[in-house]
Amino acid sequence: MITVQEHVLDNGLRVVLAPDATTPVVGVNLWYRVGSRNEAPGRTGFAHIFEHMMFQGSANVPRNGHFHHIERVGGTANATTWFDRTNYYETLPSHHLDLALWLESDRMGWMLPAMTAEKLENQRQVVMNERRERYDNQPYGDWDERIQSLLFPASHPYHHTVIGSMEDIAAATLDDIHAFFAAYYLPNNAVITVCGDCDPGHALDRVERYFGAIPPGPDPPPVPGTARIPFTTGETLRGDVHAAVPLPRVYAAARVPPFTTDAFYPGEVVSHCLGTGRSSRLYDRLVRQRAAKSATCHLVPLTTGAAFFLAVATGFPDTPIDRLEGALVEALDAAGDLTGDEIERAVVGAETRNLRALQRLEWRADLLSMYATHFGDARRLNDDLRRLRSVTVEQVREWARGYLHGGNRAVVRYLPAGPP
Amino acid sequence: MRGDDRRAAPPPGPIRPYEFPAVAEERLSNGMAVRLVSAIGLPVVTAMVVLRAGETAAPVGRGGLAVLAGDGLEGGTTRLSSRELAMALEGIGASYGAMTGWDSTTVAVSCLAEHLPEAMPLVAGMVRSPAFEEAEFDRCRAQRLAAAAQRRMDPASLAADWHARLAYADGGTYARPLGGTESSIGSTEAGDARGFVEARYGPLEAALVIVGDLDSGEALTLAEAHWGDWHREVNPVPEPEAAPRLRSRSAHVVHRPGSVQSRIRVGHMGVSRGVGDYFPLIVLNLVLGGTFSSRLNLGLRERHGFTYGVRSSFAPRRGPGPFAVSTAVANDVTGAAVKEIVREIEAVVEAGPAGEEVESATSYMAGVFPLRLQTTGQIASRIARMIVFGLPEDHYRGYRDRVREVTAAEAAEAARRHIRPDELCTVIVGDADAVAPQLEGLGLGPVTVHEEKA
Repeated sequence: MITVQEHVLDNGLRVVLAPDATTPVVGVNLWYRVGSRNEAPGRTGFAHIFEHMMFQGSANVPRNGHFHHIERVGGTANATTWFDRTNYYETLPSHHLDLALWLESDRMGWMLPAMTAEKLENQRQVVMNERRERYDNQPYGDWDERIQSLLFPASHPYHHTVIGSMEDIAAATLDDIHAFFAAYYLPNNAVITVCGDCDPGHALDRVERYFGAIPPGPDPPPVPGTARIPFTTGETLRGDVHAAVPLPRVYAAARVPPFTTDAFYPGEVVSHCLGTGRSSRLYDRLVRQRAAKSATCHLVPLTTGAAFFLAVATGFPDTPIDRLEGALVEALDAAGDLTGDEIERAVVGAETRNLRALQRLEWRADLLSMYATHFGDARRLNDDLRRLRSVTVEQVREWARGYLHGGNRAVVRYLPAGPP
Repeated sequence: MRGDDRRAAPPPGPIRPYEFPAVAEERLSNGMAVRLVSAIGLPVVTAMVVLRAGETAAPVGRGGLAVLAGDGLEGGTTRLSSRELAMALEGIGASYGAMTGWDSTTVAVSCLAEHLPEAMPLVAGMVRSPAFEEAEFDRCRAQRLAAAAQRRMDPASLAADWHARLAYADGGTYARPLGGTESSIGSTEAGDARGFVEARYGPLEAALVIVGDLDSGEALTLAEAHWGDWHREVNPVPEPEAAPRLRSRSAHVVHRPGSVQSRIRVGHMGVSRGVGDYFPLIVLNLVLGGTFSSRLNLGLRERHGFTYGVRSSFAPRRGPGPFAVSTAVANDVTGAAVKEIVREIEAVVEAGPAGEEVESATSYMAGVFPLRLQTTGQIASRIARMIVFGLPEDHYRGYRDRVREVTAAEAAEAARRHIRPDELCTVIVGDADAVAPQLEGLGLGPVTVHEEKA
């Protein structure tokens, strides 16, 4: 059981405190409710570029001062951009808590005075290289662009990826930075979690001291496009890719109910039954039988109209692609007959892994921010350890039959091509 | 708080003490070493068997044998099939696996502390009586062969493998990929793996590490019950075969047609873990390319926008592992980026790091130490390192003090001793037509273009 306190400052900033003095380390974690889903047409990838710019200084912090300050006291810092949110975090010796709060508050309140076209140009190049490194120069690197654009129509906020297109990355301007900051980087659109070695009263006082004067803004604009979407694609949507990849691979995805609904939990159980561990179905039926080199699946916990389920099977060099796909979809189609034993094993495994993950306070802090952001209730973390336990066999089977059929599926297949 | 109050970074509060957890050292009746840590916190435990039998112990031409033997441990025991083993361990919520490196194979299980009595005999079975049943072994081998094929198309893996081959060109254990080559893997049979285990896994060349929410007495009783009657005489693994230094610079482009980026690796044979000035060297590396604020990253990423990130590293093993600077850059700036990397390497050897840089680096290293010791698995892995490298008992207890004692002069001396700008081997995985011409005239030594054959 994690001890959790929640407060809201006058400017709307939600504050989560989770004291634990086991190690003299403290984690500071901020979630801004903005991600790739909020991007305007022609500006894909912008939420992520903005995240990079948050490290380029603010009114009182010089360029790269953020990393410099944190690293020189023995801490680590980073940020990630995702579909529904952008997070920023520091983990550092607990007597430097003020430093992290000062840095985070300075950029939440006073980022714009430090922005210049030259910094944007530099980070544009950095992000273009990130895209090359992760997508364009990597075998299978474009799988998520292909899966997302098949599974979600152009009108849906998840149609495009977080990294965005090179063209749109090239188009980002300093004016975009100012507009995005004004619309989304507001205390009333954020959560801050302080987790680890801290006195909660003192930590709240410090958060108030550093963040309290940042003015709130209007509610952020609605997410562009149409979030509501039926959990069916009508037929299996597919794409074949002949590319310089070493092994045949099949990605199969399905639209499923959002993370914020109760209908998500049976899906989590299904996904563990199918794809987690060496007693899972995909391992047992595909890997152990040598139909695939590897086969796993997971649920991507998204909140805007839908989430998605993703299964990936990689073959051996001589595995025919049709056979690989056949074996994978056979396992998905048959998930409606999952047994009580399989479910029990999946749940006990997930509970243990979740508990172990909480050992790392940076992860604990991130989860608390997530629950506070998506559910308005950080304490839900404690209940969620038990929530999977209450899912019934019938709910599991119904979920599998309802969402993992061929009429709700996108399939992308990679076929190894010879060198060009 | 507004305006003027915000100008300066706030001062720290009073520092809080940190101690590496107390490690109880025990021995079972058969002489096998046991290390116990009763960690406070969540009710979980990690048990890790450390076997001093890594890839270094694989005979010449048998690269990948230790890795395959390790994989094979998951393939079932004389009592339980691979499937039954998985059902039994995952049925109690345990995660388990074997991992093989150059210097060791570790078999670890993590679960709720209350389930360790059920998990321990299963893990003991994996290590003490693996079946290496033919069909299971064939599967492991097919997976490793496919993984080797994947490495040949992945730019970062390809650069690392080519760099090893070229930087250890005149021989030595580390010239080959850890997991072996397709030919060495393909020719390994189940009997070879069984033979390796019988020759290398034994209680006096192994240790059991248990970290978690468990009373030490209980843990020791459990260890004795499942490991105390294990008897097998094995010889210690010999020292890795040393490779001669390369005495000149050379540059190599591994042609990857159509590449939109160049994967760069610049370095040479580095140091072994036993090196006397380990701490000054690690501090020096942090300044050069070990953190975000390092010279290389601020230069190549934040000043020039050449890359998403660049890092330098020493990879100390029982023998001298590689020193390398690694990054990925756009085709058109490949030459400029390599030039910059070499300039930074030369500069740090020439003038050494500044006092302020060393102060930041030592403070960073001492500070992040407890950040990386939060989980039972992280603590167990640290203890495993002590066992594998024969580090003194007080190594981690005194770690932070020793880090803080490193001076700028010592770090400069470590740079001069262990980085040799005249012997840099540069490997670029990229489109040779686009990037090879950019390397001429940079003083990198002779430039050779290689074809990676499928």
